[in-house]
Amino acid sequence: MILADAIFILIALMTMAGALATVLARSIIYAMLGLVVTMFGIAGLYIYLNAPFIAMMQILIYVGAISILIAFAIMVVGPLSQRPKEWTTLKRFIIAFVVAVSSFFIFLKFVVQSKWLPGTFSVSSLTTKDIGRAFFDKLMLPFELISLLLVVAIIGAIMLALFSRENK
Amino acid sequence: MTALPLFNNINVYLFMGLFLLACGIVGVIYRRTLVSMLISIELIMNGAGLNFVVFNRFLSDRPYGMAFTLFIMGIAAAEAAIALAIIILIFRRFRNVESDDLKEMKD
Repeated sequence: MILADAIFILIALMTMAGALATVLARSIIYAMLGLVVTMFGIAGLYIYLNAPFIAMMQILIYVGAISILIAFAIMVVGPLSQRPKEWTTLKRFIIAFVVAVSSFFIFLKFVVQSKWLPGTFSVSSLTTKDIGRAFFDKLMLPFELISLLLVVAIIGAIMLALFSRENK
Repeated sequence: MTALPLFNNINVYLFMGLFLLACGIVGVIYRRTLVSMLISIELIMNGAGLNFVVFNRFLSDRPYGMAFTLFIMGIAAAEAAIALAIIILIFRRFRNVESDDLKEMKD
């Protein structure tokens, strides 16, 4: 139990450090690497939450697909040396900090105040089989709509790129 | 709740999701380029997905929270593809991707 707690604290600290690096890193490529670290940490948290399938999907989709997409965008947008610094004015940082901290404490108040039902903290034994059954039983329509959305998004991205080239 | 180990406490996970949300808000307001803002939005969506799985794990015995986390992942992938296409278009047209310079429709 001690070892499990230690590994959990390590994963949580890794996630928080990755999130801070994502937000505060000076270079955009370091921000992307911080995002990758955060996503790996969240995959670890999913494993602690008895959801290994979600953890695997997190690594496959976020780390494997979206991070690579963002890396391509960073490469397309231009060389790193010509990019202006990510630091903005102090006023803007103060605004962002105030908004984030105030929303953080408002939601923290909700979390602390809410009383969860007792007896529901048992370990639920949900497996990948249950998720699959839910997908093809009650969530059939949203599942198909997600595939339609992905097709439309891919076609839309391709069309955006093509039309821009024609205009030039 | 103190008898449970740390990773069986719902508040720890909710705190993690909240921290990701706060970091994402800071990034969206504070960052200058569009790609960094997109990265921050991904952070917020990660926090939302984490919250869904947490509530499913602790407060329910049906797998709908996990299913919605998978939906969030699909929507995040579609959103990233479209947003990056738009960013590339903006870069071709204006030669930079700073959000402060994109005020042609405002003027």
